[in-house]
Amino acid sequence: MHQFIVLTLNGLTSGAVYAALALALVLIWRSTRVLNFAQGAMAMFTTYVALSVIDRGGSYWLAVLVALATGFVLGGVLERVLMRRVESGPPLNAVIVTLGLFIFLEALAPMIWGGTTRSFPAHFSIVGFTVGSKHIALSPFDLYTLVAVLVVMATLVALFRFTDVGLRMRAAAFAPEVSRLLGVRVGRMLTLGWALAALVGSLSGVLIAPVVLLSPNFMDAVLVFGFTAAILGGLDSPVGAVVGGIGLGLALSYIGGYLSPDLETLGAFVILIGVLMMRPEGIFAGSAQRRV
Amino acid sequence: MLEISGLTTAYGGILALDDVGLRAPEATITAILGANGAGKTTLLRTVSGLVRPRAGSIRLDGAELTRLSAEAVAVRGVAHVPEGGGVIRELTVDENLRLGGLLRRDRSGRRGAAEEVYAMFPPLDDRRRNPAFTLSGGERQMLAIGRALMTDPQVLLLDEPSLGLAPLIVAQIMSLLQRLRDDRGLAVVLVEQNARSALSVADWAIVLNLGRVVKADEAGAVAADEGLRHAYLGF
Repeated sequence: MHQFIVLTLNGLTSGAVYAALALALVLIWRSTRVLNFAQGAMAMFTTYVALSVIDRGGSYWLAVLVALATGFVLGGVLERVLMRRVESGPPLNAVIVTLGLFIFLEALAPMIWGGTTRSFPAHFSIVGFTVGSKHIALSPFDLYTLVAVLVVMATLVALFRFTDVGLRMRAAAFAPEVSRLLGVRVGRMLTLGWALAALVGSLSGVLIAPVVLLSPNFMDAVLVFGFTAAILGGLDSPVGAVVGGIGLGLALSYIGGYLSPDLETLGAFVILIGVLMMRPEGIFAGSAQRRV
Repeated sequence: MLEISGLTTAYGGILALDDVGLRAPEATITAILGANGAGKTTLLRTVSGLVRPRAGSIRLDGAELTRLSAEAVAVRGVAHVPEGGGVIRELTVDENLRLGGLLRRDRSGRRGAAEEVYAMFPPLDDRRRNPAFTLSGGERQMLAIGRALMTDPQVLLLDEPSLGLAPLIVAQIMSLLQRLRDDRGLAVVLVEQNARSALSVADWAIVLNLGRVVKADEAGAVAADEGLRHAYLGF
């Protein structure tokens, strides 16, 4: 029973990080129908930027803020100057561009920051809370990770649901031409979508960096898990991405704990293939939309 | 008043509109008639800025709209309801309406305009929070027209609003267009395959064939021209 609780708590925390990256992928997919293979590399880049802030004596919170802001700007600029040129072409062009971006960023980072692995400070203790006289598996940093992802998700949901700009963004994603006829500047909404996605992706980078070590390809595994989580959630649904991420985190944690840690990555692929075979539209895909 | 002159639009090398002219004064309904492929939809898409013309001009009360983007044309008071209505299925009825109101400057007027639309279309009022895909075909057309009214337009472009609807619903929509003309002074430009019902409410009509205007006259005169009816209008 104790092991089950430990594995569950670990799964929730790593799942929250996958959820953040999955959320980033979903935000871009639903507005542009592009799978952004560079999402992980972009988050890696902004995490390095955060580390530079800390190296120069900045506080942890300043570093996180700078990482998120850099992500926001990076995402917006990439959409405007790079993706805009390929969006009207065949979908494969855009995918290839994101792959190229992925390779470019992972080559650029060691040129700026060096290729050696670095550690990233956690700010909160990663030693479990003490309840009575026992340490439990949940640490303050785990709690912070979970809360940060949930707060970001809730903010995004509120943005999409309750604000004018959120309504414009959703309309532009679902029906770009009709939106233009109603005066929505669809191009701006796409830029904003990329910017928000990259901001959320940056969060996943700074949250996972203290647990793994920082290196130019440290986000690659997270990207794979984030993809799996996004597809579990149906690619179109932000809530699905978060539930998919946390579900995947739990599943991998149980696989790693009860079977073998070596099987975790394999487990992710088995889950991915299973979902694609049985329910290719994802577990949380808007099944309501398909009733008609 | 919407004034179009010498409008020429091409897809690749093929002319879809060839030197088309049109005047749609306020408080009138102008029917655009013709067979499939005559250029009716292209005419609307060119006016609303979705398609760039090769030549010609489009003016609203003297102001040039010709090379503006679709977003800018919408802001200047031209509302285009595309074929099928273009209701966004994933959004609720209320969200569809709100979306139409977003381009209004007067933020306070938005809610009032939405309530006006609900008063005009009671079936929508009962379904504010339902996703738009749950609506029937007639209700979708109502929502599409209501959403266009939310933009507070001077010109309303409608592409085949009767398509796929029962005759009773078509009659309701046609009388609604008359009310919009009479009560709000809208310049309505109505593209229709269903020439008979369009001519029953229109003041003016133009008949297109292969991108050219073959006839532009009062609706009554077009309806009375038997040769024209047989050749292009199918009744």
